[in-house]
Amino acid sequence: MDKNKVYPKKVMTIARKEYSGLLLEKTFILSLLVQLFIASFSAFLVVGLTSFYDPMALQGMQMKESKIGVIGDTDGELFKLMKISDLEPIKYDDFGEAYSDFYERKIDAIMNIPNEMAEGTGLINLDIYIPRSELKATIVSLQLKKPLEKFEQSVRTIRTARLEGYTPLDIQIMRWDQGTSSSKLEFIYVALLPLLMFTPAFISGGLVIDMITEEFERKTLELLLVSPVSLLDVIYGKTLVATAISPVQSLAWMLLLGLNGIRINNFTGILLIVVIVSLTLVIAGSIIAVLCKERGTSQLFYSLVLILLFMSSYLYTNSPLNLVSRLALDSIGYMEAFTWIAGYTCLAVLLLWALASIVEKEHMKV
Amino acid sequence: MSGWYTIAKWEFLRSGMKFSRRFVLAVLFTLVLLTIVSFAVSFTGMNLDQKIYSVFSTSQELNNIIEGDARFYILTDDGKDADLTIVEDRVYLSGTKKSVSAADALEKVFIAHRETVLASYNDINNSHPVWVTIHDLDRPESFQILGTATQKDGQVSDAGYENTGSIGNYKESTAATGQTSHIFSPEELEDLDNSNSKTLFNRQTIATPSYFMPPIPFTAILYSFLFIFPIYFVSQFYSSSILEERVNRRCELLLTAPLKSRDIILGKSIPYVLVTMVLLSVISLYIEKPSNIHELRTSIEMIGVIFPVLLLFFSLSFIAAIFSRSFKELTFAMVFFSVIVSGYLLFPAMFANIHSVSSISPMTLIVNLIEEGSISFGKYIFSTLPFYLVALSIYGFGTAIFREEDLFSQKTMKEKTLDCMELFLGAPLGSVFTLSIVSIPFVYMAQLMLIVMLFNLPLPYSIIVMIILSALVEEIAKSVGIYTIMKRGLKPVNLKTAVLLALLSGGGFFFGEKLVSVITLAPIASSAFGSVMTMGTLLLIPLLLHLVTAMITSLGVYFTGPRYYAFFLLAATGVHAIYNTYLLRGLFFG
Repeated sequence: MDKNKVYPKKVMTIARKEYSGLLLEKTFILSLLVQLFIASFSAFLVVGLTSFYDPMALQGMQMKESKIGVIGDTDGELFKLMKISDLEPIKYDDFGEAYSDFYERKIDAIMNIPNEMAEGTGLINLDIYIPRSELKATIVSLQLKKPLEKFEQSVRTIRTARLEGYTPLDIQIMRWDQGTSSSKLEFIYVALLPLLMFTPAFISGGLVIDMITEEFERKTLELLLVSPVSLLDVIYGKTLVATAISPVQSLAWMLLLGLNGIRINNFTGILLIVVIVSLTLVIAGSIIAVLCKERGTSQLFYSLVLILLFMSSYLYTNSPLNLVSRLALDSIGYMEAFTWIAGYTCLAVLLLWALASIVEKEHMKV
Repeated sequence: MSGWYTIAKWEFLRSGMKFSRRFVLAVLFTLVLLTIVSFAVSFTGMNLDQKIYSVFSTSQELNNIIEGDARFYILTDDGKDADLTIVEDRVYLSGTKKSVSAADALEKVFIAHRETVLASYNDINNSHPVWVTIHDLDRPESFQILGTATQKDGQVSDAGYENTGSIGNYKESTAATGQTSHIFSPEELEDLDNSNSKTLFNRQTIATPSYFMPPIPFTAILYSFLFIFPIYFVSQFYSSSILEERVNRRCELLLTAPLKSRDIILGKSIPYVLVTMVLLSVISLYIEKPSNIHELRTSIEMIGVIFPVLLLFFSLSFIAAIFSRSFKELTFAMVFFSVIVSGYLLFPAMFANIHSVSSISPMTLIVNLIEEGSISFGKYIFSTLPFYLVALSIYGFGTAIFREEDLFSQKTMKEKTLDCMELFLGAPLGSVFTLSIVSIPFVYMAQLMLIVMLFNLPLPYSIIVMIILSALVEEIAKSVGIYTIMKRGLKPVNLKTAVLLALLSGGGFFFGEKLVSVITLAPIASSAFGSVMTMGTLLLIPLLLHLVTAMITSLGVYFTGPRYYAFFLLAATGVHAIYNTYLLRGLFFG
């Protein structure tokens, strides 16, 4: 029998064996638990990480009016601007008085407004005292930002007229509602969604390494090869299983996000990318495992390669991560998406060919 | 030389041997590539959000401004599906959620453009007339520690609910201390500001309103990742090495050698612990950059805080390697444990400085160390004691089953757990009573993790689920020893001994529970100590509860056999949950 030819039937046998092995070891249940944990975490993540990503995103949330002690010029425009926004300014005569109220948590910040007029020429230096390392500091700063910007604008309308040849860019954005910060949407579609889509693929790559190195380390491979299967059949079988389980998980994620009211366009397109990326990663994992034959070193090398691939996706538009975001937001034309998906498929096929030739070489050695 | 030293030396040398020259070259090559790519990425602004918003505009000038931002792409043809359409000086939205977001992004682009244009004028008094200077002021935390700490005690011990009334008094007393304190002048405060505002990220202190950015909350996460990452990385190798010994049966030789299994485990663990400690020291030195002896102490304290986390992580990897039957199983178990432990570490740390309960996570202590330079011993004990106890008992159980019949057989996880229990019960001092005490830290951590996981459910449901699940956890802890005895037939069991076992395990659990609440709560709030001690009259009821529920499972299993264990476990859980609900009735109806 020709040992170098791949028989689909044998590949399927190996795949079936690996698949039932996965179920038998209850590893699936563990992985489901992990994903459930992440899911229960994700609402928290959206709030927590969004604010980490951009504190301005907290702006849309309902917050209590913060009390701010004001000293100095309490009759000027800034004081009025603060009053009509989400703040409650309180007048104080001197800093000591304000500080003792601040210390007792009656107010959350202190601001000193100097007596410099907008019509004047000197700089207007505002001193703001906020509580160190408290979440309150962030909230107060958020609520202060709008009135401060308005104040800056009003001073500027007077002062920039003195600049030669300056015409402000005057464009009105016709918003009907208050308008939320762009960070939340960008966080969900640009960070969260691609990460959730590709996490199963990352795990699959590690999984195939475990499957292959285990055969080497337990010395069961020699027994397997005595039976009428080739090394390539074995590797292909394992690759098939590892690749097949990741789009299922990604699909579950998308449905879950959909239930949470996050609209995802182009379901099939995204799934297609997930399949191709998992295939690529699983093949890469298989190549590494076949060459290293040992779990510890293979996993180390694989994680290095993974970080490398992850980093390089920052470098260009339409990297798999970016492509998922654009497809989910419906911000890409069909032709463009199709071309890139085809490109990634070619890459996967190329790697598959490399895997085949490497495995054949290794088979000779075994 | 003692045995463990030899094993440690072997382990160290062997991990060096593993790397062939070809492998080292490949890794180096990848690292070089990685450096180049990271260098290139650092110029791009680290964004994956290229071309997500479409804009249609006829003005070439505007197009140039907008295209400066990678998020936008200009539609050239008719602009039918554009998110934003610009006609003369007005921007129209298409009405979708995405377009609202796009409008916000566009506004920021215009503001950024305005600032660049204005910055090109060399006339700061007229182009940037308003400046904001930020000062950080210290003030005492709003003191909720007493109330919340006893509440949590309530979830572990069922008797702590009654004493939450004292929060009010506490607040008043902090207010009183506030008045007597010395009031700083602004200049002094600035000095204060410069002296200890030492953070990883240099905070912006002076800006114009347009550039004014609120301080980033949750910096704790970044610190945590810096510390957790090396632990996670090394523990991968550690667990892999232990499983390898089992897979290729090399360990069989070690076991026949005149070595105690304790020595083998010590020898196999110490090199990895040392390597991780070195990595962690480098990180803590990097964060703190000590310039004097005091700051050096702070970085040493940081390592002291992270050490129990390392122990827990390693003990979990160890037990995972002993329990799992294949590499696949190990990978999943490791992912599972690291997600759970990271959740436990990160979640409370997000509330550092907001809520005192956050100090259950050692990461909060790290944040405190970075900001204040020291932590109290009581806080240290409070957050790290469960870690130490759980890690040590896991290592204890692992050492017990570190023998041929468990290492080289395909026993299921359940069988191996029962083996642990059996060996523990057979050991001197081992009884259902002590087993219940040992299980307390596990129960404590499990319940804290439940809080993390259930945080997401809407409020009344999360409390109901929490009550049921935490009752289940406690019941499992109490009955597992009894179950092992009856299943394995360790002792001849009759009705009298079945009752006795239930009394012992319920009593042991109660005893341990009180012990934990005294040890952990006393240091953080001295008045809590008093309240725990004065609960005398209330103590009897929880004791009774623990005895009754333990009795349900014990007698149930005795009469019907181990097969119906799950049924009686659930019954006991039900009784326990009803009692807890009764205690917490104020939350539902009050």
